[in-house]
Amino acid sequence: MKYLHSRNRAILGEMVRTDFKVRYQNSMLGYVWSLLKPLFIFAIMYIVFTYIIPLGKGIDHYPVYLLLGIVIWNFFVESTMIGSTSIVARGDMIRKIRIPRYLIVISSSMSALINLGLSLIVVFIFALFNGVMPSFSWFLIIPIIAELFVFAQGLSFLLSALYVKFRDITYIWEIFIQAGFYATPIIYSLKSLPSQYTKFFFLNPMAQIVQDARYVLVTKTSITVWSTVHSIWVIAPFLVILAITVTGGYYFKRRSKYFAEDI
Amino acid sequence: MVIKKEVAISVQNLHKEFTLPQHKNTTFKQTVVNIVKNNKKVTQKVLDGISFDINKGDFFGIIGRNGSGKSTLLKLIAGVYTPTAGQIMINGQLTPFIELGVGFNPELTGRDNVYLNGVLLGFTRKQMGVMYDEIVAFAELEPFMDQKLKNFSSGMQVRLAFSIAIKAENEILMFDEVLAVGDANFQEKCLQQFEKYKAEGKTIVLVTHAMGTVERFCNRVALLEYGKLDFIGDSSKAIRRYNEINQVAENNGLTKK
Repeated sequence: MKYLHSRNRAILGEMVRTDFKVRYQNSMLGYVWSLLKPLFIFAIMYIVFTYIIPLGKGIDHYPVYLLLGIVIWNFFVESTMIGSTSIVARGDMIRKIRIPRYLIVISSSMSALINLGLSLIVVFIFALFNGVMPSFSWFLIIPIIAELFVFAQGLSFLLSALYVKFRDITYIWEIFIQAGFYATPIIYSLKSLPSQYTKFFFLNPMAQIVQDARYVLVTKTSITVWSTVHSIWVIAPFLVILAITVTGGYYFKRRSKYFAEDI
Repeated sequence: MVIKKEVAISVQNLHKEFTLPQHKNTTFKQTVVNIVKNNKKVTQKVLDGISFDINKGDFFGIIGRNGSGKSTLLKLIAGVYTPTAGQIMINGQLTPFIELGVGFNPELTGRDNVYLNGVLLGFTRKQMGVMYDEIVAFAELEPFMDQKLKNFSSGMQVRLAFSIAIKAENEILMFDEVLAVGDANFQEKCLQQFEKYKAEGKTIVLVTHAMGTVERFCNRVALLEYGKLDFIGDSSKAIRRYNEINQVAENNGLTKK
């Protein structure tokens, strides 16, 4: 058992290392792109939503607020998009060697996680420049990121196993992502909506995650599920994550025996 | 179930069927169409109740005509496929080589690829560090290891991949038709390495069409035909039986024409 453990860790480490080494091959700026990409997207959105469609009016530290939302959303998109095709993309490996299948899915989201870590450093620096007071509550971002990672992982397990059988999944998922971007308060504030509807937004775990991250990092005026729902239903976003992760894990485990022949 | 100590691999009543849907369900539309039309899945029996033991220290050959189920059997033992029925027990650490250079990445250096491939095959980086120098020396590629793999000639790539396979230090090694690479000199080196393993008492499983290799190395041979075990035992008898089967098949082919 211990052997298995060290072996799996070695495989995971090697796959992540390879991904990272290969990803920015032949590009001059290399890893810097991991930081530049969210910064440029942020710059575009900032200009649009401050000067053209002023959605950010009345929100404390709107630039940081927006950047944090984008960074979290980007991780979600990157890890689920890469995760969903990961099994098929590594089909040659699956057909030829015996490695635990779940490692392939996890390794695919590890590089997204590293990107998220780098981006968050930018967010921290940006927050300080923008006059956000550092506090111990910043550390609460760690459990929030853990929750986000588990959610993205659960979805990746479900989607990657489905993708082996149904190649339509990626198209469907792209549409979901587009819809999700607007269903999650990334560019706008929940304050701008009629308050009787806000609680329904938190059925989307991404809304809860983004708002909680803003609460602990940027501004205490961020509307969270905790300040909106005052009943047992406050656990709704967590139930959604649990349901998706358990379903995804179970389905992946059941199907993974046959990946080698189905791909 | 207790495995006797001297058995390395025990295969018991192994069955493997593949489902061949008439129209593969790769889109939702197709799935719906198949359900509505009630298109039945067709199953193909590839292995049909195979049992045998491979003892520790055996140089075990698996032979048979194309489509007899050799590779499927190997993939089942390697744990890539899941049996439809039956059991496989493995006593010891096994490294399967179904294909050489799995996971090789052209953008990585030769050195990185050796580690990557080794780790994927189940070794730790530390273990690979111990084996690394020998692998490179065997491949005769010392001056090139910091070059990217894409700059290697195809012959060099194959030699590197093969050297990892043949220098892999494990109790049980399994090869699928991966011999006979490189020039005559390199091939002879590989055969000598096999001699060495034989002398050391390693367990080797070899799937091949090269009867010369089988005759030279294998002490026991399993002959598969239509997914069943046709013969198991002495290599020269197995080869004779294999030639008979081939002869019959050839004659049938001739009479059909």
